[in-house]
Amino acid sequence: MMKIKKIFNIGCLFVGLLFLASCSSTATVEIDTSFPAVLAKPGVLSAVIIFDDEFASYVGKPNENTSVSIGKAQVNLLKNAFSGLFSSIEFASSIDNLNANSGIIITPSVRQIQVSTPSEHYLNVFEVWIKYNLKIETADGRLIVNWFMPAYGKTPDVFMSSKERAIEQATIIALRDAGAKLLLDFYRIPALNQWITEQQKRAES
Amino acid sequence: MRAYKLLSQWLCLVPLLIGCAATTTIDEFRPTNQPIFIAENEKVVLLGRRDSGHYETDREFISCVTNKVNSADINVVPEQIFIDAIYPWFEPRTAPKGLPRLKRLMQDPTVREKVENLRIRYLVWLDGSTETLSQGGSMSCAIGPGGGGCFGFAQWDKLSTYEATVWDLKDLIEKGRLRVDSEGTSYLIGAVAPIPLLTPVKSDACSSLGNQLKTFFVVN
Repeated sequence: MMKIKKIFNIGCLFVGLLFLASCSSTATVEIDTSFPAVLAKPGVLSAVIIFDDEFASYVGKPNENTSVSIGKAQVNLLKNAFSGLFSSIEFASSIDNLNANSGIIITPSVRQIQVSTPSEHYLNVFEVWIKYNLKIETADGRLIVNWFMPAYGKTPDVFMSSKERAIEQATIIALRDAGAKLLLDFYRIPALNQWITEQQKRAES
Repeated sequence: MRAYKLLSQWLCLVPLLIGCAATTTIDEFRPTNQPIFIAENEKVVLLGRRDSGHYETDREFISCVTNKVNSADINVVPEQIFIDAIYPWFEPRTAPKGLPRLKRLMQDPTVREKVENLRIRYLVWLDGSTETLSQGGSMSCAIGPGGGGCFGFAQWDKLSTYEATVWDLKDLIEKGRLRVDSEGTSYLIGAVAPIPLLTPVKSDACSSLGNQLKTFFVVN
């Protein structure tokens, strides 16, 4: 009888610990999803996109309890998005072994990733911001512009859904938003626009 | 005597069960009395608005209304398939908020061609959310080696407000609007075991909106 009571008490303790563990606020999220091809007519430019190792394996730590691994997913997304912008495109892992006649060279990097959860504000949504920097250079290494590209995603706080799942969904939406922002605004970057106009004038004269 | 006792117990439950019914109101606007004709090979897509700051039309609701409309003879393209096929032009950042922007988007030959290939004739925007308006009462639960239980009473009011806007992707005009408001109170009674008496506010809003939307379309 005593043995049964002891087993019951240990069982209660285990269930209690399990309950407390499920309340833990640590979240480790890995995004490994594929993205659709973009529906766009490519422009006349050709480009080389540099995905360095740091970018391709990027793991963001928006706070001490959360880590978001987006390296693989953001490379997939940007490959799709850039393919809709340029007539000819190459992807490389380093700027060292490049063809000199490569049009423009773009090196994306992540400046910051931020996550906001319902426990931090009055809204009932999970939010993710990814702040990208696109370093755009000419083939001979002259800097055209460092373009700041923010992306945003949010997802509702679904009842009984895990924090990881909610952050994952918000991050996927933020990555898709990055693709949309790129398609929408890339050729509107003033410095890039000016450089293209100069190139066209030079070609005509 | 026993039958009388059983009947009185059931009669006590009736007011509570009646209290769990939602009140639903539907407002409809159409520029003409003409039905919206759709050919057998044409399709409809239902999309949720997700550009608002503090809420977003949840996918579960969109899928519920889609299933209601799909159960008629109307072909409905699933939301995510359409959004992926036309990426990135229907993302929260880029989706057209009004007809002028839609007209500009449809001038793009690649977008127009894709919409035509998918045979989508009508686009229905669904915008809204379900919110808890007020809550009251209290409930406390306790567990110990000898057993456990919940005691108390809690109640909360929920309101679902959704609006559907139908766009014609061929003529690029608005064909009609529907608005549904569904409100109800749910209860949780703690008598050792917690007994939930939930009012299906969102489900009622979905059924009403879906059924009304079906009547908009006439298959040629």
